[in-house]
Amino acid sequence: MPLEPIAIVPEPGFRLQLPVFEGPLQLLLHLIESRQLDILTVPLAEVADAYVAHLATAPVDAGNLSEFVSIAAQLILLKSRLLLPGESPPAPTDPDEPDEEELRRRLIEYRVLRDAAAALGERDLAAPIHRREPRESDLPEVPVQTLSAQLLAAALDRLGAIPEPVAAPPEIVAREITIAEQIEVLHAALSGRGRVLLQTVLEKCRTRTEAAVTFLAALELVRRRQVSAEQGTLFGPITLTVLRDPA
Amino acid sequence: MNELEAFYEALFFIAEKPLSSAEVAELGGVPLMQAEAALDALRTELEEGGRGLRLQRNGDAWQLATAPDLGARLATYAAREEARLTPAALEALAVIAYRQPCTRGDVERVRGVDSDYVIRSLLHRRLVAEVGRRDTPGRPAIFATTFTFLERFGLTSLEDLPPLSSSAAAVAARTAIEAHGR
Repeated sequence: MPLEPIAIVPEPGFRLQLPVFEGPLQLLLHLIESRQLDILTVPLAEVADAYVAHLATAPVDAGNLSEFVSIAAQLILLKSRLLLPGESPPAPTDPDEPDEEELRRRLIEYRVLRDAAAALGERDLAAPIHRREPRESDLPEVPVQTLSAQLLAAALDRLGAIPEPVAAPPEIVAREITIAEQIEVLHAALSGRGRVLLQTVLEKCRTRTEAAVTFLAALELVRRRQVSAEQGTLFGPITLTVLRDPA
Repeated sequence: MNELEAFYEALFFIAEKPLSSAEVAELGGVPLMQAEAALDALRTELEEGGRGLRLQRNGDAWQLATAPDLGARLATYAAREEARLTPAALEALAVIAYRQPCTRGDVERVRGVDSDYVIRSLLHRRLVAEVGRRDTPGRPAIFATTFTFLERFGLTSLEDLPPLSSSAAAVAARTAIEAHGR
């Protein structure tokens, strides 16, 4: 909705506040009424100067500028005819030529509309009529069907037969153990004295898988020639020893 | 109140949308003429009996709604937070209300300005609706006012619209308006 901003019209000596006119008929009507001229009889050429002056100095709705200019041209032509000496010029025959009576008729018509709009505006939301709002529901319409109370009772019985759902056991997520991780564990165990009993490391493992992967990690270190492994007796303790880099 | 009128009163009480005269006749199981007579009787009875409800009419459709003079007090319950219309919107709405059905061109001719934007805002607020196309070049859309319009302005029907100014000039203009474009 376009607002009705207030424009400051600069005039020598005083400042006047005027609304921005949306259309040429609105402006023309304002100029006539503010001079208390009779819309039925005033030669419209009389307000031509004021109209053009307003157009030149005060802002109007730019979107309808061509309408403003078109009416300005008509007014100027009407005025020039009025200034011509001698007999009055013949009535215009060209349909595009401005016709004062046509413009006056449009002005009067606009005034009736403006007054009707103002009367309507008085009633706007003043005493609104209310009606039942449609009930809001997202649910689809359920076809109406007569059901017996027996059906409800039977349904309740069946509900009793359904066992309570058993609570699901807490979910177990297998922990992934990698050889690389266990190599780190062995490195940590070896970092102190440079040797460690493999069995003491395996004892700290929480699962069989972890122990197996740790064992594989030990084999990997042997394969990389980073440690040596010694076992004195069958099933006896295995000693891992860090091999010094040749470098 | 006879049985048919009572039936219609109850029907409009439960109806969630306006009903056409034809629907009302069919639901009442009576000819159209008889249905409309009953609706008129019901409308008069509600109005003259000082009741809280009115039978509201828009074209061929009817609905049960509250009496306009209760609107302000009911607003505390059925509050509608709406801004009042701007003068431009009121002008466009007035042309459509008094001259309906009419086109955007009709509105612009009387106002002397482009009115596309205000008409779209009136459509958006459901104060007017497109009711068809005019059989002229371009087949422009024709607009008419809605129940929402009647409700907002507290009108029981279009007959309740404030009369146009009745000065001699206005009469001349009104004749001109009616003669033009028809």
